[in-house]
Amino acid sequence: MNWKNLILHHGRQLGTLAGLLLLCLALTIATPYFLTVSNLLTVLEQVSINAIVAVGMTVVIITAGIDLSVGSILAFAGVVMATVLQREVPVPLAIGIGLAVGLGCGLTNGLLITLGRLPPFIATLGMMSIARGGALLFTNGRPVSGFSDGFRALATSQFLFIPMPTVIMLVVYLACHFLLTRTRFGLYAYAMGGNEQATHLSGINVRRHKTLVYGLCGLTSAIAAVILTARLNSAQPIAGMMYELDAIAATVIGGASLMGGQGTLIGTLIGALLMGVLRNGLNLLEVSSFLQQVIIGTVIIVAVLVDMGLKAQKK
Amino acid sequence: MMDAPPLLAMHRIGKSFPGVRALDGVDFDLRAGEVHVLLGENGAGKSTLMKILSGAYRPDEGTIHLAGEPQRIASPQHAQALGISTIYQEFNLVPHLPVSANISLGREPRHAGFLLDRRAMRKKAETALRELEVAIDPDSPISALGVAEQQMVEVAKALSLDARILVMDEPTSALTETEIANLFAIVRRLRDRGVGVVYISHRMEEIFEIGDRVTVLRDGRHVATRELGTVTVRELVRDMADRELTEHFPRETVEPGAPLLEVRGLTTRTKLRDVSFALRRGEILGLAGLLGSGRTELARALFGADPLQDGEVRVHGRPCRFRSPREAIQAGIALLPEDRRQLGLVLPLSIKRNVSLPNTHRVYPRGLLRKTEERRLAEECVTGLRVKTPHIEQATANLSGGNQQKVVLGKWLARQSDIFIFDEPTRGIDIGAKVEIYRLMNRLTREGAGILMISSEMPEVLGMSDRVLVMREGRLVGEFNRANATQEAVLGAALGTTP
Amino acid sequence: MKTTTTPWLIGAALAAILGSLLTAGCNRGGQETSDSRPRVALVVKTLNSPFFLDMQRGAEQAARQRNVNLIVQAAEREVDVERQMQIVENLIQTHVDVLCLAPSGSKELVPVVGKANRAGIPVLIVDSKLDEATAKHDGVATATFIGSDNYEGGRIAGAHFGALFTNATDLIVLEGIPGHETADSRVRGFRDGIKPFPQLHVVASQPADNERDKGFNVMQNLLQSQRDVKGVFASNDMMALGALEAIRAAGKLGQIKVVGFDAVDEARQEIAAGNMEASVAQNPEAMGRLAVENAVKVLNGEKVPDYIPVAIQLVTKDTATPPQE
Repeated sequence: MNWKNLILHHGRQLGTLAGLLLLCLALTIATPYFLTVSNLLTVLEQVSINAIVAVGMTVVIITAGIDLSVGSILAFAGVVMATVLQREVPVPLAIGIGLAVGLGCGLTNGLLITLGRLPPFIATLGMMSIARGGALLFTNGRPVSGFSDGFRALATSQFLFIPMPTVIMLVVYLACHFLLTRTRFGLYAYAMGGNEQATHLSGINVRRHKTLVYGLCGLTSAIAAVILTARLNSAQPIAGMMYELDAIAATVIGGASLMGGQGTLIGTLIGALLMGVLRNGLNLLEVSSFLQQVIIGTVIIVAVLVDMGLKAQKK
Repeated sequence: MMDAPPLLAMHRIGKSFPGVRALDGVDFDLRAGEVHVLLGENGAGKSTLMKILSGAYRPDEGTIHLAGEPQRIASPQHAQALGISTIYQEFNLVPHLPVSANISLGREPRHAGFLLDRRAMRKKAETALRELEVAIDPDSPISALGVAEQQMVEVAKALSLDARILVMDEPTSALTETEIANLFAIVRRLRDRGVGVVYISHRMEEIFEIGDRVTVLRDGRHVATRELGTVTVRELVRDMADRELTEHFPRETVEPGAPLLEVRGLTTRTKLRDVSFALRRGEILGLAGLLGSGRTELARALFGADPLQDGEVRVHGRPCRFRSPREAIQAGIALLPEDRRQLGLVLPLSIKRNVSLPNTHRVYPRGLLRKTEERRLAEECVTGLRVKTPHIEQATANLSGGNQQKVVLGKWLARQSDIFIFDEPTRGIDIGAKVEIYRLMNRLTREGAGILMISSEMPEVLGMSDRVLVMREGRLVGEFNRANATQEAVLGAALGTTP
Repeated sequence: MKTTTTPWLIGAALAAILGSLLTAGCNRGGQETSDSRPRVALVVKTLNSPFFLDMQRGAEQAARQRNVNLIVQAAEREVDVERQMQIVENLIQTHVDVLCLAPSGSKELVPVVGKANRAGIPVLIVDSKLDEATAKHDGVATATFIGSDNYEGGRIAGAHFGALFTNATDLIVLEGIPGHETADSRVRGFRDGIKPFPQLHVVASQPADNERDKGFNVMQNLLQSQRDVKGVFASNDMMALGALEAIRAAGKLGQIKVVGFDAVDEARQEIAAGNMEASVAQNPEAMGRLAVENAVKVLNGEKVPDYIPVAIQLVTKDTATPPQE
């Protein structure tokens, strides 16, 4: 692919990437602790959870939907998996059960939206409360802690010096990028978000594919739950609160439109990295936690304003 | 009376849109205390003329005088201030607000400048409704009213604006006989109070009942203005239809082959009643009728988009009952919808991806993308149909109407469909691209496809169809072959005035 | 118009990013250039609670006296354990000399303390204990624990109710974040504290997540179902103050005795005014001060005890005024 094409088709992502690089440059100048191998690996490890949740969110947003329940699903899948893990069940099986819980919650969202004809906002708002309550009921409100080293290795080990959460994140991104760009599931996701009626009239089973999209979102939340549980050596029923907002922010900074039909996982990954680098840098610079919130909010708004400006110029 | 200047005089009004001359030197005048009917086919320019009067459009040329004074109508608000009220087919009412609030919307009576004066609002509504002698509760929300009552609210709103000129666009299309009689009584009362009413309608019987004068438009030109007391239906139909076939219709007839699509007794819950016909290979079957006659509903029902209540559909001789467009497409049916921006294309996506959409079995064999095949199909569409675009990655939103239609067609050509339903195939498309679309239709029939062509453009129906079916109120009411399909005959059947 | 908006917006974006970094730069006051003072990090659970603000104040006072560069950080929300872990990770990257941590999860923060161990940064635990079994299993070492005995504080509160009510009495308990060591100990201590008094009955025990508005809502709901309640124990003052508001709104001020925990300034005022019964004082300022002082000792290679207790006392109307120090 030549440069002209790259700019034509990925202008939005390049813009976010430029913002990310600019931020890195500024942080390199501002603090000697930023541009070190160990700090950059720390950032990559820290962003992995939000970035993985944002994968499912991106696909949902591409279909012009929204999923508010990702944080609660994460908690629910996490505590179920953790409880199973403590019953001496083989690790892969326990993980499989956790992922199945996430997938099930996601598919339930999808069915409520397609068969129940609920707006995505409402269906997932309900699931947000149900899954959270489920997690609290399942554990009586207590965290489930203490796992085998084999399971914890998912967060603590490295692969070629790269932290395992980062490796898992990259695998999820590669797989879902492939899904979005090389399979008809991806084509249908973009088509549904761009124009659901026209997609239906092109002979596509919109209901089935939309349900699967929400299922995928539940699944990625559960994958994030595996990493979070291994990282903290504990699964908390109150984990993942407000994660939906971080995931939406990463997606939107990455160039997806809440109107649907647009968005890429590359953009979302850059968006998640941008937020992670910003948080890391603000800690390194010892900025107060109150000011950090103001700055992060500003970045989200500016990113979207720039995006809208670019789009207005294109037209 | 004759000395006073007319309430409204529009003189030599001209208006162009890209590729279309919508109005060309049209004259129209309205006297106080008359009902002036505006008549013409779809696309004759009636709506454009009224949108200019109501301030929605600005004319390119021509003058407008109100009671002798020259005026430039700048906006819909300005038009209202000048005493011009328009009641569109789609009402401008807020469903969840009460009648009284709707009548005062934008001009709410207030206490101290900002507190709503609900009592004054209610009183104003009561006065307006009493003048109309209709029993509607001013506190009832609009959503609780029937169509006829909502229309009365629109009329009351116009009255409360002190309208001197009232434009009514097809006001009876959704009303029952009694409701129409009530409406007419009110229109007459307004007329007697000196209001000038512009009345747009297709229904011949109504026109004669309510109108004083009639002006006929055709292709954006003024044809004639006549007194309704002296004119006959036959004369009006001739005014509307009589024109030369100036556009180019390159139809090459093909010897029709075996039946592709046979429909018997097709009925739906909403609109269609007992529709039966057959479409054969190599044939273009024109489907004429006025707006709302059920043509689009027929297309959707055949395509599996709306459920059938009764009747039988055979494709290639085999009985079929499609539950979704997916099944219709698999049987070889292709729909090119009228509203191709809303229903035909996913506008933000590229040409390439739109073409892939119904062809995933080829582009994604075993579920995985084959880029070469994706590219090949899109290139075939672009070169084969001569879509004007820099590349196949272009978002379809950026294409012209004609090129968008070609991409919709390209979707189905790649699918190798053989029954094509074209709903208004050339609406919004410029002349040059129209001829190209016609040639493509020729090519399809040459290759053995059959086409059901829904069209409101009479010349297109007559120029391109091998046979013409006419629909009215959900039924097939006429069938003509190439020899006996004349504009007057088809239009007469569509209007329900066949002698 | 269209061509001018975009450069403007990009300019705004650049200005926002650079401006924020500039602000940030000013904030830290030239940390690594000329400052040779030891860098002590204090990571607390959240900074939107008076308890931790008091702790911050005490730590800052000590930092000035001992000539220490103090960095105080916290997550936005107390329940966001993973975020606190990230903050500690990031501070490890800046090679702070010593870390004082008030862990928002007793087991969940053990792995990151391990990371600090591996980076050679000594860790002092403040306010809430790390889970001993987990720490031992992971081979995690901490220099000391500076804090009050939360169990003992709960027990004192329970005994106070025992002395207060001699007839059969219904009590309500507002719990903190479920599964959290500090809140658990306080509630456990309270339950043991009322055991010798058979006339006291806990009729409802509900979590209100250490938050004031949750304390209000839970109390409001419980007032509907438990009309004969005479006493409330809340495992922190935020919930106690929320509950007090709910009681005030119900017009039952004075009829229901509220005992909180932490003795924050607002609670002291309510106690002095006679609206609230008592609060268990933990003295967070002393905790902050002791944290920094002992951090300096650890840096200087001095030996510090494994457990540095911070005195606990029940603040009642007699002792509420004046506030400490």
